[in-house]
Amino acid sequence: MSPRVRVLLFALAVLCLAPAFAHVALHLPRFGAHPLPYGDAINAAGTRERHVTNMVSAVNFDYRGFDTLGEEFMLLGAVTGTATLLRGTRGERKEVPQQVPGRPVRARSDAVVLVARLMGTTTVLFGVYVALHAMTTPGGGFQGGVIVSSGLLLVFLAEGYRGWRRAMRSEILDACEGSGATLYALCGFASMLAGLPFLQNILPLGKVKDLFAGGLMLVENAGVAFAVAGGFAVLFLEFLEETRVEADGDDEEEKEA
Amino acid sequence: MPVGQALDHATSLLPWCVSAWLLGVGLYAILTSRHFVHLIGCLSVVQSSTYVLLLAAGYRKGAQAPIFYSHPPGIAVDPVLQALVLTDVVIGATVTALLLALVLQLHKRRGTLDPERLRPMRR
Amino acid sequence: MSVLIPLLFLLVAVTGTGVALSRVPRRQVMAMAANGMALALLFMALQAPDVAFAEIAVGTAALPLLFLVVLASVRADKAAKAEDGAAAGDPP
Repeated sequence: MSPRVRVLLFALAVLCLAPAFAHVALHLPRFGAHPLPYGDAINAAGTRERHVTNMVSAVNFDYRGFDTLGEEFMLLGAVTGTATLLRGTRGERKEVPQQVPGRPVRARSDAVVLVARLMGTTTVLFGVYVALHAMTTPGGGFQGGVIVSSGLLLVFLAEGYRGWRRAMRSEILDACEGSGATLYALCGFASMLAGLPFLQNILPLGKVKDLFAGGLMLVENAGVAFAVAGGFAVLFLEFLEETRVEADGDDEEEKEA
Repeated sequence: MPVGQALDHATSLLPWCVSAWLLGVGLYAILTSRHFVHLIGCLSVVQSSTYVLLLAAGYRKGAQAPIFYSHPPGIAVDPVLQALVLTDVVIGATVTALLLALVLQLHKRRGTLDPERLRPMRR
Repeated sequence: MSVLIPLLFLLVAVTGTGVALSRVPRRQVMAMAANGMALALLFMALQAPDVAFAEIAVGTAALPLLFLVVLASVRADKAAKAEDGAAAGDPP
């Protein structure tokens, strides 16, 4: 199909769908005045039933906890697939940064190193804070995990590739990723061992507005935080490895082989 | 006040229009893309249209966030749709990473990232 | 209705269009970061702070970095192939 035909088909499809869209948009409830029965029910009952104040976490880890299990394994699947694809063609070797000829590599300035060191640690700490406060204030394992991993990127900016690579052991990150997802699944089976439905809360719920209220939700949240932080760190590691090339000197290669 | 009313009506249609626009412009750019990395970027625009739609549907005028730490439980925006979008934002990023890994493999094997030059449909 | 939310919707539409229509991948990465920022602001205004947290970390840091790294890798791969005297790749 030539590009012009494709665009023509697209325009035709838009023309056909436009009246339908206009009809739907005009008949939808007004923005800001939707009936939200399910959300209202959770908002009304969530704090009383689950002793947590962040309803988004309550939905994620309790009311719709089974969905999150699926999402957890989608994350695991995507990260495993990416790592397999990228590692498969690489193998063990001695590496140097890849360079485009005729483009000088400038050294990092001291200002960048200083700011990145300060902000890197602060961001990682903030991510842990966000992950810990899942049950009370905005936050949770998903958000905390990605914030921690973006803090790790700042560490990369501060320490350069070699220093960063020394700190980031891929075995530990893989273990974080896998064990986080496993922990979530085990939470579900723990309820089943107690004779209750999958993922039913079996731990004491604790006091409302307490940092450690929520019972089993806390364990699930920790599992998600580890899986997300580990997963994103694995992704960064694998993609940054792609920018390295084999060192010149085939004799070293042969020694390794 | 007809002008104010019309304006109010327009703003209440705006979220659906923005969502549809993001979907449309993203699909158009995917169709005409000449670079796979660009194509994946456009896919993330298409994805963001669903975030806009879901959060706009869950919004309630004048209501607060569904977090009852500093105010008592009661009327708030919809936490279910927020939980949906939250997980999708994070999972979507890892799926995008998977697509990027496929693109890297493609470039290693075929030496080009132009969909027009690869033409799997013609063979 | 406050004027902030419609303005942020428009901002998201404009930056999203920018991402879709910037054909040079390197520029698209920057547009993508701007779009992530606009989306995070919109989510904040729509009373979704949880989603805004995730979007700001993913949309402005994680995804742009992955795209930049992929572009760097592709570019260096291309340069290596050109050096080897293989058939010339497509123009940058």
